[in-house]
Amino acid sequence: MTTHTPHVDVHSGAHTGTTNYLNNTSGFMSWAGTLDHKRIGLMYLIGVSMAFLAGGIFALLVRLHLWSPDGALFTNEAYNQIFTLHGAFMVFLFVIPAIPASLGNMVLPLMLGAKDVALPRLNLLSFYLWVTGAALAMYSILAGGFDTGWTFYAPYSLYTNQAVISIGLGIFILGFSSIFTGLNFIVTTHKLRAPGLTWFRMPLFVWAIYATSILQVLATPVLGITVALVALERTYHIGIFDPRLGGDPVLFEHFFWFYSHPAVYIMVLPAFGIISECVSVHSRKPLFGYKMIAFSSLAIAIISFLVWGHHMFTSGQSTYAMFAFSFLTFFVAIPTAIKEFSWVATVWKGSIDLNSPMLYTLAFLIIFAIGGLTGVILGVLNVDIHLHDTYYVVAHFHYVMMGSISLAFFAGLHHWWPKMFGVMYNESLAKLACAIIFIGFNATFIPQFIMGSRGMPRRYAEYAAEYQPFHQASTIGAMILGCGVALMFGYLLASLFAGKKAMQNQWGGVTLDWMTPTPPPLENFHQTPVWRGEVYDYSTLDLRSTQTPVS
Amino acid sequence: MFAHLFQTPQEPQKSFYVADQGVDAWGQLTPLASTFDHVDHVFYFTMWMCVFFFVLIAAVLGWSVLKYRRVRFDQPAASNVTHNTPLEVVWTVIPLILVMIIFAWGWKGSLDMAVAPQDARNYKATAAQWSWTFRYHNDPGSSLNELWLEVDKPAAFTLESKDVLHAFFIPSMRCKRDVVPGRNQRIWFTPTRLGDYHLFCAEYCGKDHSLMYAKVHVVTAEQYGKRPWDTEDPDPKVNGQRTYEALCKSCHAVAGPNTAIAPSWFGLYGKSEAVIEGGQEKTITVDDAYLIESIRNPSAKIVKGYESAGRMSPFDQGQVSDRKLGFIIEYIKSLK
Amino acid sequence: MSHDGHHSIVIPAPGPEFVPHTVAHHFDSPVQEFQACKLGFWLFLATEILLFGGLFAAYFYFHEAYPETFRLGGQQLNWKLGAVNTTVLLLSSWTMAMGVRSAQTSQKKATILFCWLTVLGAAIFMGIKFVEYKAKYEHGFLPLFGGFEVADWFKDTHHVMKDVPHGHMFFAIYFTMTAIHGLHVLIGAGLILWIIKGASKGRFHAGYYLPVDLVGLYWHLVDLIWIFLFPLLYLVP
Ligand code: HEA
Ligand code: HEA
Ligand code: CUA
Ligand SMILES: [Cu+2]
Repeated sequence: MTTHTPHVDVHSGAHTGTTNYLNNTSGFMSWAGTLDHKRIGLMYLIGVSMAFLAGGIFALLVRLHLWSPDGALFTNEAYNQIFTLHGAFMVFLFVIPAIPASLGNMVLPLMLGAKDVALPRLNLLSFYLWVTGAALAMYSILAGGFDTGWTFYAPYSLYTNQAVISIGLGIFILGFSSIFTGLNFIVTTHKLRAPGLTWFRMPLFVWAIYATSILQVLATPVLGITVALVALERTYHIGIFDPRLGGDPVLFEHFFWFYSHPAVYIMVLPAFGIISECVSVHSRKPLFGYKMIAFSSLAIAIISFLVWGHHMFTSGQSTYAMFAFSFLTFFVAIPTAIKEFSWVATVWKGSIDLNSPMLYTLAFLIIFAIGGLTGVILGVLNVDIHLHDTYYVVAHFHYVMMGSISLAFFAGLHHWWPKMFGVMYNESLAKLACAIIFIGFNATFIPQFIMGSRGMPRRYAEYAAEYQPFHQASTIGAMILGCGVALMFGYLLASLFAGKKAMQNQWGGVTLDWMTPTPPPLENFHQTPVWRGEVYDYSTLDLRSTQTPVS
Repeated sequence: MFAHLFQTPQEPQKSFYVADQGVDAWGQLTPLASTFDHVDHVFYFTMWMCVFFFVLIAAVLGWSVLKYRRVRFDQPAASNVTHNTPLEVVWTVIPLILVMIIFAWGWKGSLDMAVAPQDARNYKATAAQWSWTFRYHNDPGSSLNELWLEVDKPAAFTLESKDVLHAFFIPSMRCKRDVVPGRNQRIWFTPTRLGDYHLFCAEYCGKDHSLMYAKVHVVTAEQYGKRPWDTEDPDPKVNGQRTYEALCKSCHAVAGPNTAIAPSWFGLYGKSEAVIEGGQEKTITVDDAYLIESIRNPSAKIVKGYESAGRMSPFDQGQVSDRKLGFIIEYIKSLK
Repeated sequence: MSHDGHHSIVIPAPGPEFVPHTVAHHFDSPVQEFQACKLGFWLFLATEILLFGGLFAAYFYFHEAYPETFRLGGQQLNWKLGAVNTTVLLLSSWTMAMGVRSAQTSQKKATILFCWLTVLGAAIFMGIKFVEYKAKYEHGFLPLFGGFEVADWFKDTHHVMKDVPHGHMFFAIYFTMTAIHGLHVLIGAGLILWIIKGASKGRFHAGYYLPVDLVGLYWHLVDLIWIFLFPLLYLVP
């Protein structure tokens, strides 16, 4: 074999006709009843994007209201509902399913050389569970809304006179959607790898999704039982979390964070996976420390079960518990530090293509360093006593959830867009949008770090006047950010109708997802591929495929 | 359809914050006014550590992008190195050492914050939706949404909640503790600077969470000795009104008709009212006895029409002494 | 033949009373299909265990907080009925195992018979549970349709729990755990009925018995959880 032929036996099928997963069948039922992982992924993509836009609109309302200390727009009750909706939509409907269920579904079987996920019907079921959960969330809004914060802390969530049961049911169902997706991916990774594709030849995106899936399967049921208990409390007053009845609200906090801390890694590990792919492909360089990155995902997945108490440093835990939780929190930072440094080392001396996915990736690397390091500050016991429940925490988690995960999601979206649809978006607009988002994002959340460290508490509909300049700066930043996001969705949609044809292998990737025809046919590969070489071996790259437009 | 969500121009939301101490320099924490300066030390140390790593990462990325940018489409990477064990060990071990240092430092500091000194003065703070009541050592007096402390004298609090979770947070003192119903928690600090400070409720507790605010006055021993928290106005109506502002205002109106949340106090005294008692409807006349019962045990008689509204939680002696209750009644009488 | 001209793999039926099984098109072999589904099911069982894990955590937490209440509450339950139920479930686990075995050896009639026996076990279990619940209801221990105050449902008609703190707490935990477990029994029984239906059509035989196997696993889990519930609730340590 010459250096320019991939060490893989696939019939790239570039010339075998024009049917692909998008056009091989048509009609409503061919989508609504599809078992094809790519179509399901696409439907998820539409769903989570809508959830993101809805959550984003709630965010803009929050920011507008906080323009003035007395609250510019809403009554306090309404404000409380809006930030709760913002948090709940973003977390449960957007960021948890976002990457695994949409891009993961789309790409994971391709990367493994499989025809589909292992359990396609379960996959479709997960999607409809997601839809049901979303419908219940909408219903809860119409039924009067809910104002508990996304954390549903008892006993307030037991007393408040609002639609808590329906949203609880919604979250329960969304939880099972997430569990089934994770389960499916674990089985797929174990059982459907192409011949020759050993564990350490799998792309790191697969490793990341695999680690995520373990967390989904093991942590989510605890959330399920927790919201079920809240619903039981509200209907039958059994008293488990209600202090008036001998229950303990702190137990609720333990239950909630036992899920919700691992959940933050459910959100971020897939983002790490995307970044690993993008860093390598757009630097055209094998990943530095491949095995360390793969193992650190697993290490994070395991340690993250043991640190939930760092959300409860002010709740009056025993000093021993505080000691252990703080200690382990620092421990979880180390595998993450290894990843971050490995990515930076991959970029170094690469052949760096500054295209839009790479720009989002670089933005991620910078923003995640801030977001993660401020998490480390929050893990310090005595400092967290001061910063807990202030805007400092709000800024921390937006740096990771919006600035890192959402940007990684955007990176992945731009990276695989040509693969998914066979068209390219407008690159100049893409670069512009990335710049606007980067600037707007930092303008929104840097002021929040400052006012948070000065004591501005979160979930405040009204605030002391001395914090006003920071709030106003933040609001302006959010408007800029909103423009960037709107622009991005705009040109992405436009490309579907008027985009140029993409290349067979738009960026020059050497993983299996780039070796099927673009867009892929129904069962992904015309023949089960056989993997021969090492992973991320760019000497095998067939440069012609990066210059051949899709047929 | 959504009109009820918005503030109406006639009734702007009124916050009772007053900006105090002016605005401090950018980039500083709130002025530290307690002995817990280790919080700031660890914070700044960690912050500069973060800045260092952040700059390091940004610099390497920036340099790489400038130097190794792809200019030809077939340009290969300048290096294909995939491992460098010494480097990887270094970047694992150095962060590990650093985080262990800050962990230990923060742990030591938090031990210091855990145990109050022997000579601390005891206070009790009672949180209820949405107000703070403070009681002073063994003194019968109490104060609402205002707290007086003596400078340089350790103050130890017992925190009690009447309803849901709240949190006791004084940013300038670097201290915070959740107030958990059913578990009386403790917190202490020593105020070291004269002045007025914010006390916030930092745990979400419902509608007026953001208005659950108290002002902390750190005063000299001499001023403290004068028991400012007990000062009463000669006019009982004025005292009653103060309590109203702090405890009752979020639900009860004093002008105009009943709202959806609670009956109005306007023209209430002497009026005859239909109430539900133990499932039975009856008509009573609003008098002292009825008002006292309604405050001490609000569920006993529910005004008709509020059967399904949220219940007011009872106010006991600690929060509203009998004396204060009398003032409130005088105030209600005056609302005509 | 399926899409794009791929061949489907068909497992032939061992006899005329059986039907052949077609391997799902995205699998390369029957072994792959079997292993994939089995792994998936084990993972699902793991989530079930964690779901109950939350409840067990609550149990231990409150047992620690109110030991007297739990001791006295446990005495209110009829341990003899609980023991009978434990035996019934253990026996039904055995009949289920025999059902799986019969499917693996292509014994159609035996498969159906053992599955029916298992369903019978489930019915006896639920019947006994009903008797127990009814007694608890008469004692005023059942948290149903109560008002805001715990007094609205926790009547404690015979005043047995009046001397311990938060007497209702034990029953809250008892009913939550056993009700959720009971729900699993019902789901399990439903699944076995579905297996019976498939078995009578001859779908399960030595070449293909995966669903029987998985439902069997599920049933053992239901049994296993009860084996923990019984001593914790009826014989409070
Ligand atoms: C996906 C989301 C996500 C991620 C990835 C993280 C990552 C981390 N988080 Fe964060 N966190 C949240 C989402 C997330 N968090 C949310 C939503 C909340 C608030 C919930 C609520 O109350 O509503 C929260 C709150 C929160 C708290 C509680 C604050 C409080 O309420 O008082 C703490 C405290 O320890 C914490 C710590 C950390 C740590 C140590 C990490 C670590 O994993 C970070 C590791 C990363 C790095 C360290 C950066 C990269 C490495 C380098 C640049 C190299 C140099 C490194 C060193 C020298 C260490 N987080
Ligand atoms: C993935 C998670 C995620 C994401 C992406 C975001 C994104 C944003 N968040 Fe969010 N936030 C949370 C999760 C998230 N948030 C959580 C969990 C909480 C805690 C809730 C709680 O306390 O319970 C919170 C709380 C929170 C607060 C604190 C509220 C309070 O404590 O009182 C604030 C305040 O500024 C805020 C702001 C923002 C902003 C400005 C964005 C921006 O980044 C949003 C950017 C997006 C847009 C601006 C949308 C663009 C869309 C358009 C422009 C419209 C186009 C229109 C059509 C096509 C119809 N968020
Ligand atoms: Cu009290 Cu918030
Ligand atoms: Cu956490």
